[in-house]
Amino acid sequence: MLFRRFMATAATTAKTHTSDIVIIGGGPAGLTLASAIKNSPILKNLKIKLVEGGNLIEPLEKFNESPPANFMNRVVSLTPATISYLKEIKAWDHFKEERTETYDNIYAYDGITNARIQFDCPEIATMCENFNIQSGLFQRIKELNKDNVENPLEILDKTKVIEIKSDEKNKWPVLQLSTGDSIKTRLLVGCDGYNSPARKFAGIESRGWAYNRWGIVATLKYKDDAFRFPTGWQRFLTSGPLAQLPLPDNWCSLVWSTTPELADILMKLPEEKFVAMVNAGAKLAPSEMEYLYKLAAKNDETLMEEISWRLNLFNSKLKEEEYENYPLEIESIVPNSRGRFPLKLSHADTYVEERVALVGDAAHTTHPLAGQGLNMGQGDVKSLVKVLETSTERGLDIGSKFALEGYFSERYPANHVLLGIVDKIHKIYSTDSSLLVMARSLGLDAINNTPFLKDFMVSQISNK
Amino acid sequence: MFRKVAIKTNPLLLSKRFLHTSPKTYNAVNHTAISPSEMEHFNKLAATWWDPHGPQRILHKMNLIRMDFINDTIKSQLKLNEGIKNDEEKVFIPGWNYKNLLPSEIAGQIEKEQKAAIAAKYDALELKCLDVGCGGGLLSESLARLPVVSSVKGIDLSAEVLRVADEHKTLDPMVEAKLNYELKALEEVPKDDLYDIVTMMEMLEHVDYPAEVLKEGLAHVKPGGHLFLSTINRDFISWFTTIFMGEYVLKIVPIGTHTYSKYINDSEILEFVEDFKKEYEVVSSKGCIYLPACGWKFTSSSNVGNYFSAIRRKEKLSN
Ligand SMILES: Cc1cc2nc3c(=O)[nH]c(=O)nc-3n(C[C@H](O)[C@H](O)[C@H](O)COP(=O)(O)OP(=O)(O)OC[C@H]3O[C@@H](n4cnc5c(N)ncnc54)[C@H](O)[C@@H]3O)c2cc1C
Repeated sequence: MLFRRFMATAATTAKTHTSDIVIIGGGPAGLTLASAIKNSPILKNLKIKLVEGGNLIEPLEKFNESPPANFMNRVVSLTPATISYLKEIKAWDHFKEERTETYDNIYAYDGITNARIQFDCPEIATMCENFNIQSGLFQRIKELNKDNVENPLEILDKTKVIEIKSDEKNKWPVLQLSTGDSIKTRLLVGCDGYNSPARKFAGIESRGWAYNRWGIVATLKYKDDAFRFPTGWQRFLTSGPLAQLPLPDNWCSLVWSTTPELADILMKLPEEKFVAMVNAGAKLAPSEMEYLYKLAAKNDETLMEEISWRLNLFNSKLKEEEYENYPLEIESIVPNSRGRFPLKLSHADTYVEERVALVGDAAHTTHPLAGQGLNMGQGDVKSLVKVLETSTERGLDIGSKFALEGYFSERYPANHVLLGIVDKIHKIYSTDSSLLVMARSLGLDAINNTPFLKDFMVSQISNK
Repeated sequence: MFRKVAIKTNPLLLSKRFLHTSPKTYNAVNHTAISPSEMEHFNKLAATWWDPHGPQRILHKMNLIRMDFINDTIKSQLKLNEGIKNDEEKVFIPGWNYKNLLPSEIAGQIEKEQKAAIAAKYDALELKCLDVGCGGGLLSESLARLPVVSSVKGIDLSAEVLRVADEHKTLDPMVEAKLNYELKALEEVPKDDLYDIVTMMEMLEHVDYPAEVLKEGLAHVKPGGHLFLSTINRDFISWFTTIFMGEYVLKIVPIGTHTYSKYINDSEILEFVEDFKKEYEVVSSKGCIYLPACGWKFTSSSNVGNYFSAIRRKEKLSN
């Protein structure tokens, strides 16, 4: 009796759907891919589902209708190449541009010698909240769906992919969802982040290492006591770079990469003291920082005093024209905006297998010091969509590895070079061996005085 | 009296060669039946036909350029304003080199409109295809996957490869319903079965009477439709350009010329060439070459190496 009832419900509720493409992941990569495919005249009729484990639609709608007063803490730096692609697929119109900040000045300086390099380039980068990206893309998808009632993109959020198997006959992936339904698909695209279930299903090895560093993020506000053009500040402390990236109205986004021990200390500090530590980190010498970390570990009540005393001393020694070589001091923090993320380098051995393609963090993760992670994923999307278009026009089975090969051969080398450069920068700067410090300071000064070298670096970073 | 066309053996190409069409295709003259050893060679290939990383990789790669050729030809043959009476609805096509003369924005807009109009026309097509010598079905499946193709019939004379083709198509619901294979020779296809697209890829060079096979194939093309052929050796091209195009440029025909003289003298074929001109036109020809590092690429010369040709059947007979 019970069994029969069970069978009956199972039969009426659990369904197996068939799709041309299933995208796992509603992060920046997944949503960009979904809009780009539906924006393509050649691909728009494909049956596509996007599955996201988290709650996506409701918060994205809310963000779009009544955006929060404060900036959110997950903010990324978008390259001109990424923005031009977002414009190409007509998603950029749906972004809240007033919440983005474009800056053309990057100021990188050494944590020990304060040697510096300054990049200048029109529109070198644009700061944008992750949620703004996702929201803009989601609105674009809705707009595309209106014009494509027969084959709209279907987003299944609050739906986890629990298991992926291969169909016995044609080996297509069959995804078991947390809702009980399952989807069989010609092509599975993993935009499912670092732990990519799609990658595991395909048996693709991912290599790399943890940096043994955490990235602490927060939304901060500068004191309004002087003027600075929007600038990205990055100070290379031996524990990792401390970056302050500009947002509108004197707000900024913090990405402070540091060791797990120091991250623990910084995360536990009361917010006011945390702000003071950020200000210290932007200017003070390593020996002073060592001392301050010790006080911070005990949440010592003299910490604030120590910092302001040292900063006053530091500032008093600055010449008038040297002020501009440092960011303004931080005044406050958006409550509860502190968060931390483990940093790692990883690169999948391949991005394509029979019936599977990997995009974004599922294929590669990098240290945030060059602000490239999400941008690399955008490059992946552009390349994959082009390959899918060509393969479709040629009547290929777009799930076959043969049809997807071009994507891997185009993107892997480019990503590999970037991962390598970023890794080298991290390694050079995470040392206090005096020889290296001298070399890298000389390096920064030398680069700063060699315009063509700088131009080259700017073009590498901004993908121009 | 007929002599066999010498087939150059290029080791690169041997792997993809299959006697799709035995002499049976033409009037059951069977003195050039497939030799058992060759049959065995192709039976072996059948097993790996669909492995793009196996011995057939070069053929899989070639399939890409075949599809490009077919698509490009069909798009270029779409008549933009055909059937539109109202001038307002017509897409503006300047009769001069507007790209150089107009400001780039306007030129860009014109180009965009033309592209959109072509895309709309293309999307509305419903093409019926016949793939002669379909082998394991590489091209048949690709054709069947195109949204503008409504059905594909693949024919071949080898039961072995057709079994592979039939089995493979069931793996993909997208092609399964549109595609069917038949074990038969071209002349067994009912005379009044007409197709928008007839393909003869890597096949004519294997038959003794290419003109007859081609003639048979052309007879199955709907008015306004196309026959696409590709072939791999230079001998055939000489034959094609000399006889088929009615250009007797014997000066440039290479070694072995007298082999062709047989054809040239054949009155039946000469007559066919005359008919051909009234009813058919060669709308595109392209050479192509295999570069190991980047696959098949079109070349500027159709006289060397591999060769594609598209023959269109005119809507009306001309003189
Ligand atoms: C501190 C920090 C700072 C950064 N700064 C920058 C920067 O300045 N510039 C830049 O370009 N990049 C930056 N990055 C990197 C950037 O954030 C990532 O590269 C980007 O978010 C990756 O996007 P994605 O869509 O590939 O993956 P994710 O955003 O990780 O999305 C994966 C999605 O898949 C879903 N998912 C996973 N498994 C399942 C499952 N089984 N079922 C259903 N759904 C599933 C997840 O819920 C998630 O939504 C930074 C990263 C960090 C940590």
